[in-house]
Amino acid sequence: MFWKVRLPLLLTALVGLVPIVTFFLTDRVPLIGPAVPFVRDRVERYMIIIAGFALLLGVVNVLQGNLRRIERRLPGWPFAISLLAGLLVMGVFGILSAFRVGPFQGLLATPDGRATPFYWMTIHMFNPLQAAMFSLLAFYIASAAFRSFRVRNVEATILLTAAFVVMLGRTPLGEYVLAWIPGGERWVPRLTDWIMAVPNTAAQRGVIIGAALGAASLSLRVILGIERSYLGLKGE
Amino acid sequence: MNAAPWFEPTRVGAPLVLLLVFSALVLFFIHLSRRGREIFIRRIAGIAAIEEAIGRATELGRKVLYLPGSASVDDNQTIASLAVMRHVASLSASYGADLSVLNKDPLTFAAARETVQEAYLQAGRPDLFTPDRVTYVTYDQFAFTAAVAGIMVRERPAANFFIGAYQAESLLLAETGQSVGAMQIAGTAEVTQLPFFAVVCDYTLMGEELYAAGAYLSKEPAMLGSIKGQDFTKAGLILCILVGVTLEIFGVHWLKQAMTIR
Amino acid sequence: MGLERLLQIDRRILYLLIALGTLIPILLPIGFPVSTTRPTERFFEKIESLGPDDVVLASFDYGPTTAPENAPMAEAILRHCFTRRIKVVVIALFPLGGVTMAGQELDLIRAEYPALREGEDYAFLGYKDGAQAAMKQMGVDFAAVFPADHAGRPLGELPLMTRVRNYDDIALIVSLSTNVIAEYWVNLVNAQFRTPVAVGATAVSAPKYYAYLDAGQMLGLLGGVKGASEYERLLLDGYPELRPMYRKPGVYNAMKGMDAQTIDHAIIMLFILLGNVAFFQMRRRAGRGGDASGGAART
Repeated sequence: MFWKVRLPLLLTALVGLVPIVTFFLTDRVPLIGPAVPFVRDRVERYMIIIAGFALLLGVVNVLQGNLRRIERRLPGWPFAISLLAGLLVMGVFGILSAFRVGPFQGLLATPDGRATPFYWMTIHMFNPLQAAMFSLLAFYIASAAFRSFRVRNVEATILLTAAFVVMLGRTPLGEYVLAWIPGGERWVPRLTDWIMAVPNTAAQRGVIIGAALGAASLSLRVILGIERSYLGLKGE
Repeated sequence: MNAAPWFEPTRVGAPLVLLLVFSALVLFFIHLSRRGREIFIRRIAGIAAIEEAIGRATELGRKVLYLPGSASVDDNQTIASLAVMRHVASLSASYGADLSVLNKDPLTFAAARETVQEAYLQAGRPDLFTPDRVTYVTYDQFAFTAAVAGIMVRERPAANFFIGAYQAESLLLAETGQSVGAMQIAGTAEVTQLPFFAVVCDYTLMGEELYAAGAYLSKEPAMLGSIKGQDFTKAGLILCILVGVTLEIFGVHWLKQAMTIR
Repeated sequence: MGLERLLQIDRRILYLLIALGTLIPILLPIGFPVSTTRPTERFFEKIESLGPDDVVLASFDYGPTTAPENAPMAEAILRHCFTRRIKVVVIALFPLGGVTMAGQELDLIRAEYPALREGEDYAFLGYKDGAQAAMKQMGVDFAAVFPADHAGRPLGELPLMTRVRNYDDIALIVSLSTNVIAEYWVNLVNAQFRTPVAVGATAVSAPKYYAYLDAGQMLGLLGGVKGASEYERLLLDGYPELRPMYRKPGVYNAMKGMDAQTIDHAIIMLFILLGNVAFFQMRRRAGRGGDASGGAART
């Protein structure tokens, strides 16, 4: 009980309270002063180191799951082979490149401009695949907009109108649409700017403030040990 | 001894006052609720629909897919997601639904596995839990998205939960889920992704509704009390904004200057 | 009845039209005119006000996924700086490809400005993790965060970096960002050190930054391809000698991207209009108590 529950809660309370307290202190406080800049600037970087160890756990899980899939010839097992091949090749290339072993001289281009093996794979495989996935957004936005922007009720009509005006205003079409009216070519872009600067900003600020308070409340619950979901436990 | 050099002069004004007032309100309402006072929290449609979604998946004999977002376990949205995940896992265990939790972050994966296992145990169905229910996919944003989209298209889940921090992958996941006919409940505090979820998903928990979800589901007095304290703080901030705007209109700037953090 | 069938259209037809609407203008540029907005103009005017004695810190906080939006911004801003002989310190804080993007853009610009000397006219310091911690420390001393540049040369050996110690020596911070790192620059660095910050953000993130623009915490904002094309327009109007760089066939720039975006927006708006007409027809036919969901998701 102590190791599984009380100790983690104690550590959480300590690690949570210390940065809050040091936010208000200077390094001239007696006894703890020298630790204040350390806590403020360095502690959060330790999270990155811890995450690195946890990444190992994730990689082991990926290996286990996919090796099992191949062994038992579960549906889609050939894809598991390609996944493991990609993981091993990029992983091994990356480690060798980081330690500059043999032809693997670094993660980017060599000083004379030639691409190292890892860099070549990044530029010619990883980057295009990333870009291809991201580009799907264009199609999905089109289908989501077509399906959802219907005049079903008042709120949907306001949503549709605002979306229409902004889509027009963010392209030269917004100028052409009312250009036949003297001075009309600026109306849609100006309305677009107003929508972005006023109602959009107001709504975003409202959500941000509400979310920030919600996060602060959750943080307080975590520090006080009331919220224990991160330990896999029910609350207090 | 002069204590002034001990404190950062630019930080002990409004930030400290706000922190103390907020903490005091939260602790006060936690204390009140523990003493038996009933705390009302309005119905949140997205949370109330969780049981409907899992029931639908059970009837159809299809999967329940839960994604706790792309952030690590140090992000408040992920912690809030773990609270909702617990409830979803508990219901899935009770109904015998086929739950699958896919993770992008390794630390979240570790916490999620503990959460789901504990939920199955508490629901009295430890036999239904297998480690394969909670898997780590990959750390890369779009590789994760591609993997999850592929799983959705192949396995056609009946219920999707997108609860946590999301970035550009939100619309890709939600639209793919919509195309396979899943009932979708999303929850995030990322203001840039809320519009996508709101338009595509059946229910969306916006911002603080996500953070309140854990408290709402647990119904525990301490949790509900903290929501109430947060609400009163928000009311105070709204009052500050109204007073501040009025003062600014009349050229009085002391409130704005007092609230400026350096 | 015919128009109502549009409500059940196979989404792949829409995808095909979007694909053609994107591909054709990229291959055969149309050249829609680009008008500028105040957030972009403020960004441009700030760099116009700087000269050879000023240093700009350019932070590459994006990866390959948003390169079509952020890369044209980076190119335009670097060309603007180097044409005005402004010194540039380049860093990357985005873990997934930020330093690769910075390297690629510098390679491109170096080829266009052969007289540029690394270490004197610009410095490429590379990637540092822990964005917020790095930003805080750079406020005290750059060398504490980047003891050497990207090629491993100690900072003390770079003439440019001998006069850039911390943010006090930086005239402007430019963050080319895909996510929350730009907010850190504004909330941490501008708030604490008062260094002006201007942001080039993706179109999805840009709406969030109008609040900072209004509050004066952000000096200028480029939003997506539109913002990048506006900056290119201002650059070409002010520096006609740069036009050949933007006329190279087969080379992508934001103005070409705007052609595609314009056509795609037009296609989406047309489908929304037709979809609503069909929706109204269906509702009128079915009566108010009929099925008027139109197959759309519940909101």
